[in-house]
Amino acid sequence: MPYLRYPNISVYILNDQSTKSNTIGCLIIDDDPFIQDLLMDKLQQYFPEIKVLGKAMDGKQGLAKIASLDPDLVFLDVEMSDMTGFEMLSQLNTIGFKIIFITSYKHYAIKAIRFNALDYLLKPFDLEELKNAVKRYKETESPSTNLVLHNLKAQNAKDQTMILRTQQGELYIPLKDIVSIQGERNYSYINLVKDKKELVSKTLRSLEDLLEEKGFFRCHKSFIVSKNHIVSVRRSSIILSDMTEIPISRRKQDQFKKWQEE
Amino acid sequence: MTYIDLKNLKAISRDDTTRMHKYLVQFEQLIPERTHELEKALTNQNRLRIRQILHKMSPQLQFFGIQNIMVPIQRLEFEYETMSLLELEQLVKEIIVRLQGALSEVSEYIRLHFE
Repeated sequence: MPYLRYPNISVYILNDQSTKSNTIGCLIIDDDPFIQDLLMDKLQQYFPEIKVLGKAMDGKQGLAKIASLDPDLVFLDVEMSDMTGFEMLSQLNTIGFKIIFITSYKHYAIKAIRFNALDYLLKPFDLEELKNAVKRYKETESPSTNLVLHNLKAQNAKDQTMILRTQQGELYIPLKDIVSIQGERNYSYINLVKDKKELVSKTLRSLEDLLEEKGFFRCHKSFIVSKNHIVSVRRSSIILSDMTEIPISRRKQDQFKKWQEE
Repeated sequence: MTYIDLKNLKAISRDDTTRMHKYLVQFEQLIPERTHELEKALTNQNRLRIRQILHKMSPQLQFFGIQNIMVPIQRLEFEYETMSLLELEQLVKEIIVRLQGALSEVSEYIRLHFE
């Protein structure tokens, strides 16, 4: 599978591990002292290569510590007393570290975390999940965190870029380029502008979950369409900008009309 | 012990009594503070604040194995806006009773093993 890189998106690799020692400097940002202590103890016990550089109690303190400590990895609470983790990140100009979000339960923020192919851990931290997250941290060569920043600052969903993890690396797909998606069991074909196509190992359901509030609609059990690429609507089908005709399920027709009017 | 289960605490402490003591004392300090905040939020009928306090507390309560407290907490976290005030009060009071029970057991454990 080709490794997509779009020229209009700047992906900076600021966190070049090869120039640093093997020690991973991390920062823990969470407003609960219990969580801070627990994570620090687990890291010290099971991950000697990770050094906790510091801890911060809220987003404001977190921003200051990021600037002064220059961490490689930040464990970031989704919901802090003064701001959310995403709000904190959007105040940065660039992100030179990787992020593992920490949260108490799978709430709304998880969708945003998945859309950006970021990692998260559920408190109070299962050891195996922590090990897997650290493993992924080490194995992911290209930090997409500045693309995440781009997404956080984008005013419209169509200006955002979906980041999908594949076995070959990360796939960056600007939402405005997606015309439709066709599901094939556990895989999906993402049909892009200029007749490009990507096959990804994601179910249509999981992609629908990521895209349903971003101008996309599942009009049929096998298809998702982009509102930006609808050219015309027939009685039970849609013509898209690539001139394909996509069926609308009978049971989805009312929902589709409502979605179009939104 | 009725309310708490120290399995997780023993696992993270790995026979390090100082570390174990640290978590127990932290529980003894944080829980009364947060219970007080919870009572205040309930008096003020501040639903959002109740949710925030419970959200913050829940990992520590899970860690201390207070499993029977997680169901009412999760209900309050997800239904705090829509639940009737009567039910909200009942659930918060139920949680506070369990917190006090857990707190007594933690204090007793500290007294027996660390004093």
